[in-house]
Amino acid sequence: MSWMRLPVAGMIAFLALGIAAARADDDVRERGAYVARTADCEACHTVPGQAPFAGGLEFHLPTGTLYAPNITPDARTGIGRYSEAEFIRAVRQGIRRDGATLYPAMPYPSYARMTDEDLHALYVYFMQGVKPVSHAVVQDGMTWPFSMRWPLAVWRWLFAPNPRDALQQSGARTFPDPLVARGSYLVEGPGHCGACHTPRAVTMQEKALTAVDGTLYLSGGGPVDGWRPVSLRGDNRTGLGRWNEQDIVRFLATGRMPLGAAFGGMTDAIAHGTQHMTPQDQLAIARYLKTLSPLTPMAEGWTYDPTAADALRGGDVSARGARLYVDNCAACHRTDGRAYPTTFPPLAGNPVVMDPTPDSLIRIVLAGNTLRATRQTPSAFVMPGFAARMNDQAVADTVTFIRAAWGNNAPPVSPSDVAAVRRTTTGGAAPASLPLN
Amino acid sequence: MSADARRLRPVDVVIVGGGWAGSIMAKEMTEAGRSVVMLERGADRSTAADGAYPASLDELEANFRYRLFQDLSKNTVTIRNNSQQTALPYRRMSAFLPGEGVGGAGLHWSGVHFRMPPDDLRLRSRVIEKYGRRFIPEGMNLQDYGVTYEELEPFFDKAEKVFGTSGEAYMVDGKVVGNGNVFSPSRSDTFPLPALKDVYTAHLFRKAAAEVGFHPYSLPAANASRQYVNPYGVQMGPCNFCGYCSGYACYMYSKASPNVNILPVLRRHPLFELRPRCHVLRVEKDADGRRATGVTYIDAQGQVFTQPAELVILTAFQFHNVRLMLLSGIGRPYDPVHNEGVVGRNFVYQNVTTSTVWLDPKVETNQYIGAGGGGVAFDDFNSENFDHGPLGFVGGSPVWVNQAGVRAIAAANAGGPPGTPRWGSAWKAGMIDTYRHSLRIDAHGANMAYRDVYLDLDPTWKDAYGQPLLRMTFDWKDNDIRMNRYVVDRIGDVAKAMGARRTHLVRREFGVPFDTRQYQTTHLGGGAVMGEDPQTSALNRYLQSWDVHNVFVIGANAFPQGTGYNPTGMVAALAYWAAHHIRTTYLAQPGPLAG
Amino acid sequence: MQGVAGVAACSTFLSSRMRAATPPAKAYTPRFFDGAEWDFLLAACDRLIPADENGPGALALDVPRFLDMQMDTPYAHGAQWFMDGPFVQGPDNLGYQLPYDPRTLYRRGIAGMNAHAATRHGRPFASLAPSVQDELLQAAEKGTLAFGDIPSRVFFDQLLANVMEGAFSDPVHGGNTRLGGWVMLGFPGARADFMDWVDRYGAHYPLGSISISGETA
Repeated sequence: MSWMRLPVAGMIAFLALGIAAARADDDVRERGAYVARTADCEACHTVPGQAPFAGGLEFHLPTGTLYAPNITPDARTGIGRYSEAEFIRAVRQGIRRDGATLYPAMPYPSYARMTDEDLHALYVYFMQGVKPVSHAVVQDGMTWPFSMRWPLAVWRWLFAPNPRDALQQSGARTFPDPLVARGSYLVEGPGHCGACHTPRAVTMQEKALTAVDGTLYLSGGGPVDGWRPVSLRGDNRTGLGRWNEQDIVRFLATGRMPLGAAFGGMTDAIAHGTQHMTPQDQLAIARYLKTLSPLTPMAEGWTYDPTAADALRGGDVSARGARLYVDNCAACHRTDGRAYPTTFPPLAGNPVVMDPTPDSLIRIVLAGNTLRATRQTPSAFVMPGFAARMNDQAVADTVTFIRAAWGNNAPPVSPSDVAAVRRTTTGGAAPASLPLN
Repeated sequence: MSADARRLRPVDVVIVGGGWAGSIMAKEMTEAGRSVVMLERGADRSTAADGAYPASLDELEANFRYRLFQDLSKNTVTIRNNSQQTALPYRRMSAFLPGEGVGGAGLHWSGVHFRMPPDDLRLRSRVIEKYGRRFIPEGMNLQDYGVTYEELEPFFDKAEKVFGTSGEAYMVDGKVVGNGNVFSPSRSDTFPLPALKDVYTAHLFRKAAAEVGFHPYSLPAANASRQYVNPYGVQMGPCNFCGYCSGYACYMYSKASPNVNILPVLRRHPLFELRPRCHVLRVEKDADGRRATGVTYIDAQGQVFTQPAELVILTAFQFHNVRLMLLSGIGRPYDPVHNEGVVGRNFVYQNVTTSTVWLDPKVETNQYIGAGGGGVAFDDFNSENFDHGPLGFVGGSPVWVNQAGVRAIAAANAGGPPGTPRWGSAWKAGMIDTYRHSLRIDAHGANMAYRDVYLDLDPTWKDAYGQPLLRMTFDWKDNDIRMNRYVVDRIGDVAKAMGARRTHLVRREFGVPFDTRQYQTTHLGGGAVMGEDPQTSALNRYLQSWDVHNVFVIGANAFPQGTGYNPTGMVAALAYWAAHHIRTTYLAQPGPLAG
Repeated sequence: MQGVAGVAACSTFLSSRMRAATPPAKAYTPRFFDGAEWDFLLAACDRLIPADENGPGALALDVPRFLDMQMDTPYAHGAQWFMDGPFVQGPDNLGYQLPYDPRTLYRRGIAGMNAHAATRHGRPFASLAPSVQDELLQAAEKGTLAFGDIPSRVFFDQLLANVMEGAFSDPVHGGNTRLGGWVMLGFPGARADFMDWVDRYGAHYPLGSISISGETA
């Protein structure tokens, strides 16, 4: 090798190193983008149709209105001035850069479990991979005393886990296989499934933050935007007892599987989050969820009962709500309640239908639902709302029929139940936002 | 280029018309890595809005106010029966119902989905082989397509898989596999979905037709008989025989449409752009007129744009394609006096009459139950499936019960048996009896092409943009009337076997001119036909303009003469056929694909 | 917590349809037709679809209300027809060639019918005996009358087509009251699902009719 070549070789080596470093940065950024998907940051911090992560989405809570902050790296209106340590403290502990405590709408009790590696990647992604957007989000409209931030610090101190403990605790757990371990991390950590699917105490903290905290974990949450998140535990009628791993994977990827379809907030969780996960991570979540025992293990399992279907097929619509069901629902969901999955979801044996709280079912009947297109399933399906066509009595009768037919065994619904849901049901999406297939 | 038009950023391909042909071509061109702009004159459309349950199940709006159809107030055609008459504007929707809006007529069609019979594709050759050249009547421009069934088979197959077509095959790879149409040619695969169930009337017809000795089969229907995922990954629901097909967007997502079957994938393709409410005025050409440079269109705000493109694909409705060619000077206009020129030549229609059969008053025919493409047919008198020699006419007609769902206003207008008044108590009694206890049988015949039946530009009337309307010169000819009358008599045999209480056979009558006031069918064809001879066809066998090689024209305009079958399956297959040759040959080396 | 509670309900098209209420027929005051025109329509509708043993007539079905409500639609203003000149008359089989929209056809047609009735019988159409009304309607149908440049058959066909629409369209448009037209026919309406019935050959379909707004009969 001549001396002349040395600097060239050196330069090539230097360049190669530079490229490697750049590639490593790219990898971290890409990984951070993936972490953002698993943590579903976009669903809350983006107004549909507007710049990603620029905030402004409204959250109507019983205590007032919250507005998701701008988390783009814009220095003035976003998180551009956050150091990595400040960023991680905010995500894991809910402490803003100025020291104020974030409302626990931000699921930091779950994020506390996120690894250093994931949070580093997430920081790199937000600082380098997200376009800064100058968008000052309006101040929160919380009513007093919830407008005060200081009690939040007390709440945080009382109920949010210390990240170090949380991580240690996770590390100490044993799992049947690494996939379940990964699933546990995703569900309890970044995925923050419990934020919606675990019941909360009067003081608003989740009654369980992980599987080891007991069987209330993911046993079904309180209303979120009027939707009632179902149990993700192994309950046969009201949980995922009859869903197998592949059913869950399919649901996370597409929002549709033979036993049900996504609605309410889960639609966003799938759109922004779970559909973008790797098949391996989707399987990890499925396998982990299948390890959760039923809350009420002694409850009788669901089996199909043909009585209602036979009656309808014979033209007998004498049962309460039967004629209404035939006139409004059966075209897509069939007289046998089995519908045409995965185009139109079944009502027979559907956990949402048998949920002790009928709110989700009532809301779907009133407002309809859009099953959105996903990467794997380009077709969207729209159920119209029946709020204008059916009064409270008619909806109550219909829902009562659905909850009692085909082996379903949920209690009847009264017109006042419907009226309560109707009061909080908005007109629905503008036609322009409906899918175009 | 127009002086006052705003010139847009060039794209690879511009497609004129957002129906089946346009959506297929756009899909194929984006798959080939080409940027595509698809221009559609009408509004964007979707099942959620236009097929909402139950609000869209409104017969008045759908079938009598033509919610999804062409806006005739802006653009129509003029019609006359012969060149001695003054053609007059088609002012109100009646004889035929062209579509408008994204999805085109493919959104509100019924769904009967056929392959073209092999003999129809080379009808001139076949007739000469069987009966001699002199069998062809004077003035009939009988022609071959220039493409064979074997060549098109993979594209028929592809279209069926994309549409989710339900049907029963007869022969696959030369082996009999099922109870399909015994006259149908061998296929490379079965239908993607099993045949739809027979409604009661179709069931009765199937039995009776077999008794008479005919060969009934299930109509191939692009109404999904169960849930389906097509090769593009889009989903369809199953048809539940709701009876709201023709004129409606299918709320069950079970009738194939560009909107449900192709556009969900296309809309999110980065190389695809759809521009609704853009009406194309003309194709632009370069100075020597041998190459198209793009199209000029006017948008909803009245602004005029020129969209430059390397490739221009016309996929509008049959007669709009022909008109655009005439307005743009692509191909030599047809001259009926000398039988020369090609654009406007061989304009054809379809030769349909509907007969009614009344059954015992105890039999309820439930005509409101139906699927647009469903039913039972026999082909014993279609195409070259029977000996025309002693009969002395060219062409044929399938016969079928295609109960697509008869709704209330249609029932009222159909009235009672012949001789019943159109109103009053007698009408009421006859109309109710007819609705409850009758069924309808169609002779869905071919219409041959004639030298003096053609399309050109009208000298008097203009559209909303100041361009001349298209003029149709059309009438029924004795050959076609004889064919219809022969086949309708066979319907009489079947009606008898059904135990008809009363039969009203409707035959075409000699000397009765084409009447624009009564609905016939929207299956118009020809006018810019495909073929192997540039003297008798506007397009070569790849649907490429003989004269302007970067213009392809896809549609029923390419049919050299009419056929007994519904055209959509053939149009879709021709689109895939043309796209295949564009992708494999033309894009690499643009130029004429046929010499 | 997830945002966007507003799950798509329906298009404006849908919601307006499902809610649309028509004023009760008894209280209906026509907005387009004047008194004499209204009298003609009431009388003519009663002859075109009389009440009899087969079911309700056009009056019970509120067909006149439907006609009046239609006059306020783009259709009645000719918005869906090609209305550019020149207007040249030709053979009947080449279709409608008059420069008049449905509103004008009604105005002139009804005036023509009443004028004819007055000339011939000394009274407006509505005051004539039913059998005489039938004769006049038959004459109009055959085209033996003319109202200026409007052949009577053109007016009659327009009227008859719209009367049929009114009696048998969804009640959202103001006619087919209590779904009487559909019940008379045995048309189930907007349920639009026959999955259970398609292949039950010979079985009687037992379910009644339902409209877009959810009214049943």
